[in-house]
Amino acid sequence: MASLIRGFKNAFRSGIRTVAIVIILGVSIGLSLTMLVARQAVDNKISAVKSSIGNTVSIQPAGFNSYSAINNSLTVSQLADLIKIPNVTAVNETLTERLTTIGSTDLSFGLQSTNSSNATTSLSSPVKLNLKRHLFKAGGGLFFSGGGSSSIPTNFSLPITIIGTSNSQNINGQSLTLEQGNYFSPSSNSDLAIISSNMASKNNLKVGSTFQSYNVNFKVTGIYLSANNGALGNAAIVPLSVEQSLSGQSGDVTAAEIFVNSIDNLSSVTSAIQKELGSNVNVTNAIEDANTEVSPLNSVKTISLYSVIGAIIAGGIIILLTMIIVARERRKEIGIFKAIGASNLKIVSQFAAESSTLTLLGAVVGILIVILAGNPMTKFLVSNSTTAGTVGNGRFSRLGSFGGGAGGRFVSGGRGVGGVLRSNITNVHAVIGWDVLLYGILAVIIISVIGSVGIALVISKVRPAEIMRTD
Amino acid sequence: MLKVKSLSKEYNSGEHILKAANNISFNVDDGEFVSLVGKSGSGKSTLLLLLGALDKPTSGSIVVDGEDLAKKSDRELVRYRCLKLGYVFQSFYLVPNLTALENAMLPMEFAGLATNERKERAQYILEQVGISGDKINRRPGKLSGGEQQRVAIARALANKPKLILADEPTGNLDSETGKKIFNLLKELSRSENTTIIVATHDNNIAAKTDRKLTIVDGQLKQDK
Ligand SMILES: Nc1ncnc2c1ncn2[C@@H]1O[C@H](COP(=O)(O)OP(=O)(O)OP(=O)(O)O)[C@@H](O)[C@H]1O
Ligand SMILES: [Mg+2]
Repeated sequence: MASLIRGFKNAFRSGIRTVAIVIILGVSIGLSLTMLVARQAVDNKISAVKSSIGNTVSIQPAGFNSYSAINNSLTVSQLADLIKIPNVTAVNETLTERLTTIGSTDLSFGLQSTNSSNATTSLSSPVKLNLKRHLFKAGGGLFFSGGGSSSIPTNFSLPITIIGTSNSQNINGQSLTLEQGNYFSPSSNSDLAIISSNMASKNNLKVGSTFQSYNVNFKVTGIYLSANNGALGNAAIVPLSVEQSLSGQSGDVTAAEIFVNSIDNLSSVTSAIQKELGSNVNVTNAIEDANTEVSPLNSVKTISLYSVIGAIIAGGIIILLTMIIVARERRKEIGIFKAIGASNLKIVSQFAAESSTLTLLGAVVGILIVILAGNPMTKFLVSNSTTAGTVGNGRFSRLGSFGGGAGGRFVSGGRGVGGVLRSNITNVHAVIGWDVLLYGILAVIIISVIGSVGIALVISKVRPAEIMRTD
Repeated sequence: MLKVKSLSKEYNSGEHILKAANNISFNVDDGEFVSLVGKSGSGKSTLLLLLGALDKPTSGSIVVDGEDLAKKSDRELVRYRCLKLGYVFQSFYLVPNLTALENAMLPMEFAGLATNERKERAQYILEQVGISGDKINRRPGKLSGGEQQRVAIARALANKPKLILADEPTGNLDSETGKKIFNLLKELSRSENTTIIVATHDNNIAAKTDRKLTIVDGQLKQDK
């Protein structure tokens, strides 16, 4: 005990050196803890992303990413047997169309439904957008049908997406929460619609009011909040059979979402579906998507892991060298201790207490650093790696683009996942909890042990007889 | 108490080998006060370091209380230095950042005594050697040379050793103070029956010991 107290006091024997070492160690420990915090935050984000996606498999016709005309589509009869695949619990089908709004005479690039000559609606645009900004976000999917003019109209109305669905509670894998009104039943073939709150307010629609589309009056049964449903912010959701017959595409679907009983069965079900439907159909599951989307986060994890190890080793080397220098400086003192009957262990424990004191002070500085730098550092790492990793990713582009594809039937993204991820993936928040303190203590122990090894090396070599001579 | 037989220590300094201790043999009885005299470089310190197990002989044996130092493990040698031996150095060798009291307490800490006991005994011995009052709480730098040597002696006495080895304990002190320190040691050897071996240049001091060993060029020349 007395030797530990002596070691503690010795840590402050040289004031300036103590301060210098504590700062250097503090930075190294702080850096390693910051990296741990970043790693934890990213880890939490990854599991949150994965669990938010759920156990679904998406099905779309092959080639939906290209903006050339797509001739092959899915049919209800093609999908009829999927429910019989083991572990499949439900099959949701959707048929998506894009419709221009009435009165937008100056818009030459709003899309027309190719299968229906009377594809107009009475809806006005729910949101006025600055087209220029969205052009770039769209990731290359936009071009103008006219070809000659490259000027961008400032007064531009969005086309409206109409989604026919067999399950109004879950659209393309994204569950829909209603703000007002009710869902319609899966088998409904009435002209009912659930619309976004944006659309409702822009067009003065309430639950029970009607609007016109395909020259038919649709009755609004429910309203969902646009803000919570990013990918569906600009859509009207109607029964699948109604959409199929009004757009003249009986038996066709543009996408389907298969629900699987457990996330563990996702890949087996995915391959079973692919086998059933053949290569003309893209079958993907959310896990694959999630893996793609979180891959930049994984690289943050790797970077931070190496940084942790590096910073701890650096801290260990700093304290090791410091203690070797200190012990060498005090060779004579060590010789005296030995000459008057101290065991090596006694002397080592005294010096170990000294190095632990320095390291602990370093840890206090390190924890202050992590409290200040944890969150900014996490954000910096995440934003740097995600901008490098995901811009230009086709899946995002398809969801972000809304104007392109002249002539061809527009197939919108089957699933909201990508878009949701895109907006959330960089929103990683670091939380500094007690476990960080625990890691700090662990770092201190590791570094102190490394330091003590150095001290022991010097101490065991000191021979009292030599020391007594050097006068 | 002490049996030294054919003890030699060679230093290999480049080309030639120097015999700092050359075939030395002698015995010392319990409670004897022995002086070790010889010119500078004759080998006094060398012999004391060997006796204190602070250095290893090239050949020969040292038997203390029937135990051969050469046959002891490192751990046992630590215990020997700690419990049986008190070593007083020419230049005191106090730990600079510890107070007089803390310095005197050190050997008892290594022996495993409780803090209270250590403090009590250290205060008592310091008083015996003439360090008392606020001086016990001063660091060596704030004590005179004579006071520092007293603290060093108190430290050497801490664990009631049976053998005290003192390497010119008065060499750095004026003759007056030197005499006082010497008398202190002599009194100890009487009252506690402690065996003391003192290396010294000073023939006046040597004359007052029970026995005088004279060393010339590493060899024991005279024993009387
Ligand atoms: N480590 C060493 N290597 C080589 N030679 C040494 C070493 N230590 C001592 N010597 C030599 O051994 C001889 C004896 O030295 P020692 O210190 O024992 O003499 P001493 O009698 O104590 O002298 P002094 O009275 O000056 O203290 C000297 O010639 C010295 O130079
Ligand atoms: Mg000497």
